[in-house]
Amino acid sequence: MDPILAEIYSTVFQAAPYVIGAYVLMWLVLAVFVVISVNGLKRTEKQLAALEEAVNELAGKQQ
Amino acid sequence: MKEQRIGWGQRLDKIMTPMFIAGVLFCVVAFVLSFTLAPLVLGAQVDTPALIGGQMVTNKLLLSQKIFYFHMPVAVVSMASLLFTAVYGALFLRSRKRKHDIRAKVATEIALVFVLMTMVSGELWERFEWGVWWTWEPRLTTYFILMLLVIGYFILRNAVGDPERRATYAAVFGIIAFIDVPICFLITRLVPSGVHPVVFRTDSGLAPNMLVPLLIAMLGFCCIAFALYRYRLRTELLLARTEEIKEQLELEGA
Repeated sequence: MDPILAEIYSTVFQAAPYVIGAYVLMWLVLAVFVVISVNGLKRTEKQLAALEEAVNELAGKQQ
Repeated sequence: MKEQRIGWGQRLDKIMTPMFIAGVLFCVVAFVLSFTLAPLVLGAQVDTPALIGGQMVTNKLLLSQKIFYFHMPVAVVSMASLLFTAVYGALFLRSRKRKHDIRAKVATEIALVFVLMTMVSGELWERFEWGVWWTWEPRLTTYFILMLLVIGYFILRNAVGDPERRATYAAVFGIIAFIDVPICFLITRLVPSGVHPVVFRTDSGLAPNMLVPLLIAMLGFCCIAFALYRYRLRTELLLARTEEIKEQLELEGA
């Protein structure tokens, strides 16, 4: 590579891993939160469905 | 009146997924524009200038500044989320309605996610530019305090068992935590450090080709934050309903 261009772009090559790292880590934090949220909603929906079933059974017995 | 409120909630839930997708798309567009439309900023002067793409380049080109296009929008969204924490906290203290406490908690969760995103992106920029992982620069210090306050909010919530007291303490703490937001936002104006630029000002600190990707990224992260807020709120409201049914069953069992 031309030495002048190498000097101009010297910080570009060195910074690349940090820029990539910053973008990856940011989206990773967001992705982890999304996964936790999706699992949380699924678990809660299951719990609610089981409870509603129990309530319906209880109501059926009382009638 | 109640039906109208439920209708609003359902409508907002319906746009939740499209908002999330739109947010991601906006971020992709911002990412592309930050590397194509926005030029590389100039660093230290080089010994011999060179002609690149018809332009005389006399300085080193800085790629690390590209982090800024996502770093600043996530920081702004984290602060905006804390505004909702404070507003819902104040509404709870006035009305004592549980729904406000739930909304304040969810808004703080979103704030925490975006605070972490801000911190990781900022840390990597700082490590490259300054060669250190941390320094007590005014904006960094005030934002670090903000992060500790947000973490402290959840520690406080977990430490108090009684739901009424927990909600009250959390509401007060959320309002106190929000006080740091304007301090953090204005600190670059009050104590200029030369590192964090004053972006929002009347003459706009950024050139249009840099401002466009920044604003698109901000719009994208706002959409994502809103979608995640609605999603988490739905979970929390279902959880509250589950608790109510459990209590009812226990009462009937007794």
